[in-house]
Amino acid sequence: MATSLSTPKLTTTMSSSPALHNLFSRKLPSPLSLPKTLSSLSHLRRTSTSHPHPHHHLHFRRRFSVRAVDSGNGADSTRHYDFDLFTIGAGSGGVRASRFAANFGASVAVCELPFSTISSDTAGGVGGTCVLRGCVPKKLLVYASKFAHEFEESNGFGWRYETEPKHDWSTLIANKNAELKRLTGIYKNVLGNANVTLIEGRGKIVDPHTVDVEGKLYSARHILVSVGGRPFIPEIPGSEYAIDSDAALDLPTKPEKIAIVGGGYIAVEFAGIFNGLTSDVHVFIRQKKVLRGFDEEVRDFVQEQMALRGIEFHAEESPQAIVKAADGSLSLKTNKGTIEGFSHIMFATGRRPNTKDLGLEAVGVKLSKNGAIEVDKFSRTAVPSIWAVGDVTDRVNLTPVALMEGGAIAKTLFLNEPTMPDYRAVPSAVFSQPPIGQVGLSEEQAVEQYGDVDIYTSNFRPLKATLSGLPDRTFMKLIVCAKTNKVLGLHMCGEDSPEIVQGFAVAVKAGLTKADLDSTIGIHPTAAEEFVTMRTPTRKTRKDPPSQEKLDSNVKAAKGV
Amino acid sequence: MSRKMLIDGEVNQPNEQEAHYDFDLFVIGAGSGGVRASRISANFGAKVGICELPFHPVSSEVIGGVGGTCVIRGCVPKKILVYGASFGGEIEDARNYGWEVNEKVDFNWKKLLQKKTDEIIRLNGVYKRLLSNSGVKLFEGEGKIVGPNDVEVTQLDGTKLSYSAKHILIATGSRAQRPAIPGQELGISSDEALSLEELPKRAVVLGGGYIAVEFASIWRGMGASVDLFFRKELPLRGFDDELRAVVARNLEGRGIDLHPQTNLTELVKTEDGIKVRTDHGEELIADVVLFATGRSPNTKRLNLEAVGVELDKTGAIKVDEYSRTNVPNIWAVGDVTNRVNLTPVALMEGTCFAKTVFGGQPSKPDYRDIPCAVFCIPPLSVVGLSEEQAIEQAKGDILVFTSTFNPMKNTVSGRQEKTIMKLIVDAETDKVIGASMCGPDAAEIMQGIAIALKCGATKAQFDSTVGIHPSSAEEFVTMRSATRRIVAGTKPKTNL
Repeated sequence: MATSLSTPKLTTTMSSSPALHNLFSRKLPSPLSLPKTLSSLSHLRRTSTSHPHPHHHLHFRRRFSVRAVDSGNGADSTRHYDFDLFTIGAGSGGVRASRFAANFGASVAVCELPFSTISSDTAGGVGGTCVLRGCVPKKLLVYASKFAHEFEESNGFGWRYETEPKHDWSTLIANKNAELKRLTGIYKNVLGNANVTLIEGRGKIVDPHTVDVEGKLYSARHILVSVGGRPFIPEIPGSEYAIDSDAALDLPTKPEKIAIVGGGYIAVEFAGIFNGLTSDVHVFIRQKKVLRGFDEEVRDFVQEQMALRGIEFHAEESPQAIVKAADGSLSLKTNKGTIEGFSHIMFATGRRPNTKDLGLEAVGVKLSKNGAIEVDKFSRTAVPSIWAVGDVTDRVNLTPVALMEGGAIAKTLFLNEPTMPDYRAVPSAVFSQPPIGQVGLSEEQAVEQYGDVDIYTSNFRPLKATLSGLPDRTFMKLIVCAKTNKVLGLHMCGEDSPEIVQGFAVAVKAGLTKADLDSTIGIHPTAAEEFVTMRTPTRKTRKDPPSQEKLDSNVKAAKGV
Repeated sequence: MSRKMLIDGEVNQPNEQEAHYDFDLFVIGAGSGGVRASRISANFGAKVGICELPFHPVSSEVIGGVGGTCVIRGCVPKKILVYGASFGGEIEDARNYGWEVNEKVDFNWKKLLQKKTDEIIRLNGVYKRLLSNSGVKLFEGEGKIVGPNDVEVTQLDGTKLSYSAKHILIATGSRAQRPAIPGQELGISSDEALSLEELPKRAVVLGGGYIAVEFASIWRGMGASVDLFFRKELPLRGFDDELRAVVARNLEGRGIDLHPQTNLTELVKTEDGIKVRTDHGEELIADVVLFATGRSPNTKRLNLEAVGVELDKTGAIKVDEYSRTNVPNIWAVGDVTNRVNLTPVALMEGTCFAKTVFGGQPSKPDYRDIPCAVFCIPPLSVVGLSEEQAIEQAKGDILVFTSTFNPMKNTVSGRQEKTIMKLIVDAETDKVIGASMCGPDAAEIMQGIAIALKCGATKAQFDSTVGIHPSSAEEFVTMRSATRRIVAGTKPKTNL
């Protein structure tokens, strides 16, 4: 694999990162063969556009020997280690870092707990949360539940079912689990093919260069902790009756009536899943709205659309106790009253890093208050030979970010390219129904950081809904810096949002301005073209004088004409 | 904005002369380009008149309708039928996800057709209101040019209206053509295909362009048996060859019979249906035969010869970069000029025209990196250069990145259909110069990629973009190693 060599990431050299001065005491290769020196963000953009990366040099720079990073981290360069890198946890970040490190010539081992769909201190599985208990099974259940909406839509397009389609829960779960087994197998093969040694068992750090797996000791020049996070259920009376998202992805039977406690993305995603699969769904949120941290207008919009599809929201209602009735049903006592008759109560009340009992504190790895491993910009912990990536560091807890962090660490350690993950303009999606896609800042963040911003919005009935007769709508929003014309944020809630936003995220990386959007031709007829046909701002916010102009947006009616 | 005409940078005549004309602008044809040009011109303060033929779903020399091809006989009704047809595949996919659906699901074509017609009538009304809200005067009837500044509109009852205009814009679009084979009157065009009384059980489609593959997908999705005949080895000439091959495979995978390098020679009416003969000596019986063999510009009855407006060989109006014909105050936009025949391009041309003539900002439409989509099932969407075009135009080396994968939905549904994505990169500058995709949501995904290309995105910038997981689109930012490098001066690998 010529990975990465033809596609240099945004990197930095030792001269621009004092933190690495010690680490890279050995001379780096000639500057010509390195990607540009990037010391600040503004500098960065300028450099990358005015001086394209020199591929042709990089192509000849491939090397397979481990080098460079063997001093300054407490390692004795003459000492023999079993492995150059020992990774604890074979989820997204760990597998990526291990594979890349091995491709760069390092000898690598990774340990992981035995496979189970439900995680614990003793069970996990190669692939990690994303593949086994997160993104993948979640998306499969979203697909399954979305068919219910499609059957409804299809009625408006002339399709008629003699008997209403019924859903068989066990078929879905069996097919989903077959797919997960296949994927965990693929991940094992990927590791094997990359010559990474896979060790099954629980890894524990003994000293800065030693890992204990089930009583056997392995020495390593570097240790990478990528053990991820796990759902967290707060202690309230009866919380033992509650399920978390691990369990919700693998229930033996369909919930008849389910309470979902929480307003984050996991809560809204599961609300959509169970609602589509015809459960009676109640969502309890501490705040007034779901999805704290997202753009306020998007929060309002998605909640309204979800409610239209039959989900009942209980705002500003916090759980205090769960009581199990004689018939086995559960009731949820909140600050506002008690609701009875739930077959299931699910808590989607956050996740915590899996840092307990790893031996971290004993060797001097620092943890934050919530138990996450503290790392520097290169994912290095307080112990120079121990590194950490992914959810266990609680930075941006997304699979592709863990991949980025894992790839960066492999380059830093074994390719002689100190690489910082770049957290700017990370796009993300919520697979609620309808789903959300977004990149960049919310309106609230943009106003705070930039003051003068122009807001373009569009709230329309998609072509499909005009025929289906369903109340589905789509919302889109652009946040533009008034001074520079740069797009600061882009948000969408509606069908296909996650797919649509990806390309826009690339454009944002390439310095997207509103003028670029205006000069791009639409793809007709799509929903996405609406982003290139927003002519008039809905409102302009100006710091001085501190007022908000409301603009008449008649033009919206003229969509596409 | 003042009713007084603003600046006329092009013609530069003193204002007093304008009083001589009934209108500052008279537009013939109220489709995408004509409506856009009229509205924007009116917004700039011009006095605008527009004429359009009476409404009907099937067009002819004397019927059309405000909204034009896109709204009444093209993009919109087509997409509605594609939506309708897509449910056929969805129902199949649902089963492995645990849904118990009747073996045979009833599809009511008449109901869909009625709802489609309701929707285009609604849109026709929306367009009329848009015009009147902008202060554009709409005339119903056939427009003709009788002098460089004179237009005649023949109304439904035969009465004729004559108006003078400082500028005339021709935006009459195009119409489907039929091949000259015996029995061609038994076949239909895409206009009629969008308004059939009955859903055909056996459909034959002639043509390899986007209209042909779209209708093949529509009818197949609704349960008809479909035979698709085309001249080349693969459908969709002009698109990237590798993608064309994938489209062909997917069409077959969905149950369409492909007949490459085959033409129809004769249609004969029989008791059992239309007998179709091919140049390979095959015969088959069909309920419907669709000719999707190209479209011609609507220039015949405009009386253009009276003022000497030049046409090209295909009958399209010749225009300069500002959409101006050889007669200085006569202009043309949209399909009638046969440049890039897409609705959003006609919109762009209409806007540029209005800015040039009435906005005081001479504007040329920019035809670089125009994205487009083919709504076959699953769809194809592209922006920028195909691999073949890149090789032809390249001065230096080209890097080709491809990814062919099984979309996640198929892992459980069991559908055997791969999605393909492709990026073409200029090796020297690292610029992404072409992107293409065939697979679910391709059209929606490509819009953002098209903007990235407009921003001049490099492959490094694609790589530095974090993926949205799990999506298909994230594959565009995770193509790490080039599939092949094509050294400058070498011939294309494929020649289809």
